This record gives sequence, structure tokens and C-alpha cells, in this order.
Amino acid sequence: MSRRDLGPGAIFGAPLALAMLSLIGLVGALLADGAWDWIGAGLLALSLAGAAAARLARRPADHQPRPSSRQ
Amino acid sequence: MQTRTLRAWSWVHKWSSLVSTAFLLMLCLTGLPLVFSHELNEVLLDEPWAPAHADGRRLDLDQVLDVALARHPGDVPAFMSFDEDRPVVNVTSRAPDAPAGQFNFQPIDRTSGDPAPLVAGHPAIEFLLQLHTDMFLGLPGMLFLGAMGLLLVIAVVSGVVLYAPFMRRLPFGTVRTDRAARTRWLDWHNLLGVVTVAWVLVVGVTGVVNTLATPILAVWKDTALADLARAYDSPAPMGERASLDAAVERARAALPGRTLQFVAFPGTDYSTEHHYAVFFHGDTPLTTHLTTPALIDARTGELAAVAPSPWYVKALSLSQPLHFGDYGGLGLKIVWAALDLVTIFVLGSGLYLWLARRRRPA
Repeated sequence: MSRRDLGPGAIFGAPLALAMLSLIGLVGALLADGAWDWIGAGLLALSLAGAAAARLARRPADHQPRPSSRQ
Repeated sequence: MQTRTLRAWSWVHKWSSLVSTAFLLMLCLTGLPLVFSHELNEVLLDEPWAPAHADGRRLDLDQVLDVALARHPGDVPAFMSFDEDRPVVNVTSRAPDAPAGQFNFQPIDRTSGDPAPLVAGHPAIEFLLQLHTDMFLGLPGMLFLGAMGLLLVIAVVSGVVLYAPFMRRLPFGTVRTDRAARTRWLDWHNLLGVVTVAWVLVVGVTGVVNTLATPILAVWKDTALADLARAYDSPAPMGERASLDAAVERARAALPGRTLQFVAFPGTDYSTEHHYAVFFHGDTPLTTHLTTPALIDARTGELAAVAPSPWYVKALSLSQPLHFGDYGGLGLKIVWAALDLVTIFVLGSGLYLWLARRRRPA
């Protein structure tokens, strides 16, 4: 791993957090009714909202020149 | 990750995806309207209806069954289910020589015996459901789609493994919009693929479990219910069966406080050749999806057993809501549909990436 490489935490941290929230939402809505139906839907929607938020946050940086990656 | 290992995972991801993509796209496309099947049925089958005698005496279940079978002479009863918000009993029957899966379904007004309008099962929705379930091929079709589901799980797992080396210099959320189209599509594929991993795995694994419904029920009958069936040499004939109404009341007494869901008649997938299997569900959000049958001897009408479902039948029962997303109201359905659309994009972009790579000059 070179010095510029991201660690596993930086690579998988956000996706893992979104996955955990999705699972809590999926199971929560199954185990409880009422408010949990909406909380479950909200937690599941966070996976897409998280991607959108990260995308917006990265947008200016996407256009900046950077050292070539392996792709 | 070493180059050789990376290539191996890449090969697994490519082929598990390529082999299954066409079928997964079909499943995602047919699954999208099925998420809203309840709402679509309400719109498509909307018909004002009221029971003939709202405050009058209700027919008992034997009378309802007689009415239903009189409309299809020669049929044998298969299932009886009960609407929750109207006095309607649904009788499913089949001709003894009918092909597997071909049933006659009759909603019957319990106050008069008259036919009641359908509230579920619009032909268009049933067509999509059948295509989604087994592609009109019965058990082989179900098992084939289960195999495609397994390939999906392999593709997702290998995709997560490959995500690390591809993203080792790209912070989460990066899409290199200033690069070639293939790179942009790869970044979108990675981003949307990784944020939907949990949902896709849940829907994929529960889909695989659902395709195993027939073998799971067969194992249940051959193990948990086998002892009950050993006492008899031949199936309980129609003319020698005890009162269905009394059987349901006995079952209700054996499982008090639960809600009657359906009755499986002798000889169906959900019962033995000798018993009425009377299924009840619980009243909590979770136990609504879990059924417990009381088995009533179809000859004597006596309670034979209460047979709590083994873990694999419970897994099957819970796989259905977790696959279709119909357990948490309209909000959850809308998110489910959005995730389905994103999955269609991930599948399509994966296909594009493969095609673009093949076209790339050496």
C-alpha cells in the first residue's frame, strides 16, 4: 500500500455505516409498526441519500487534477 | 491484494454477473410493479360491493364450501382463506386432473353464498407475479431463478471485495466526471452498488429462500408431519370428511388468541392426505408473518396436533415480506421501488462496462 492509498476504514467506513442503518431499518419495520414503519423507510432511504450527499460533497474535488489511480 | 487474487475475484464478479444479468433485470422489472401490487389491485379491481345481508346470519364454512364446489362440479377443495375487512371466504379448488398450479378461485359472500368481486389477483398482476416467480415453468423455473439469485449474491460479495482495490485512492462519493465515459460509469456503478449492498443481499437471499418453498414444505411434510400421516393407509376421501366448520372451531380452541388465516385441505402442499391444516397467525408485527397450523383429523374431526413451524418454515415465512417489501406501509414501498430502480441501473451499468471493455481497442 502506497502512502496515498486509503485504509480499509476510509474505503468501507461510509458504505458499512449505510449498510448497518439499512439493515436496522429493514428489521425494525418488520418487528414494529407505526412510527417504525417510517423510521425503517427513512433508514433504508439513507443508503441513497448518503450516496447523494457524498456525491455532492465530492463534486468540486472530482474536477481537480489528481495523481493517476490504478484504473 | 495481489494481481492474481484480484484477477480471480474479477473473473468471479464478471461471470456471476453476466450469466445472471438478463434474469435479474427481468426480476427487477417485474418486481417493481409487484411492490405496489396491493395498491394496483385496489385500482384495477375497484368495484363497489356490499354483502347481501350485512347484519344477517352467516353461512357456516361447510355451506360455503358446498356452494363453491357446486359451481365447479368435480373439483376438490384445496384452500380456504378469509378476508379481513369484509365477510368473504375465498375458496380455492382444482379439478383432480388439472395441471399443477391450475386452480379455481372463488370469493364468496358469506351472508348469501353469492359470488363476491375479487380484491386481489388481477390478471395483469398475476401474470407479472408468475413471471417473477417461475417464468411459467413451475418448480424448475423457480429453482432456476433461485440459482440466478445465488449468482447475484456471489456477484455482490465479489463486487464488495473488488471495491477496495478500485477505491483505494478515491474517497467515497467520487465520480470522475472529467474522465472517459467508461470511468464515469464505473464510478457510478461502484458508488450505487456499494450503498445498496445490504438491501440487495436481503432481497437476493430472501428471493432464493422463496424459490425453495416447494422443497421446504415437502421436507416439513416428510419430517414434522410424517408421524401424523402414518396412522392411515389411504387419503381421506371427500365423502368421509368431518365438518369443516367444526374442525376450524376445534383448531381455534387449540390456538386461542390467534387470527385464522387459511385452511389447507387434505392432499395439498400445506397439509397431509388426512388432515385439515388450519393456519393461524399472531397479532404482533412480526408474528403476523408467522403461521402455526392445528391439524384436524379429516375423518374424525378430532385435533391431531398443533404443529409449530420449524425454523426453516419460519425462515420461508419471513422471507416473503423481506423480499417484496410490503410490510412497512407505503413509505417503505416507495423506498423499495427506488432501490429496485437503482439496482436496475447497477445491473445495466455493469453490462455497459463489460461491453465497453470488449470494444476498447487493444
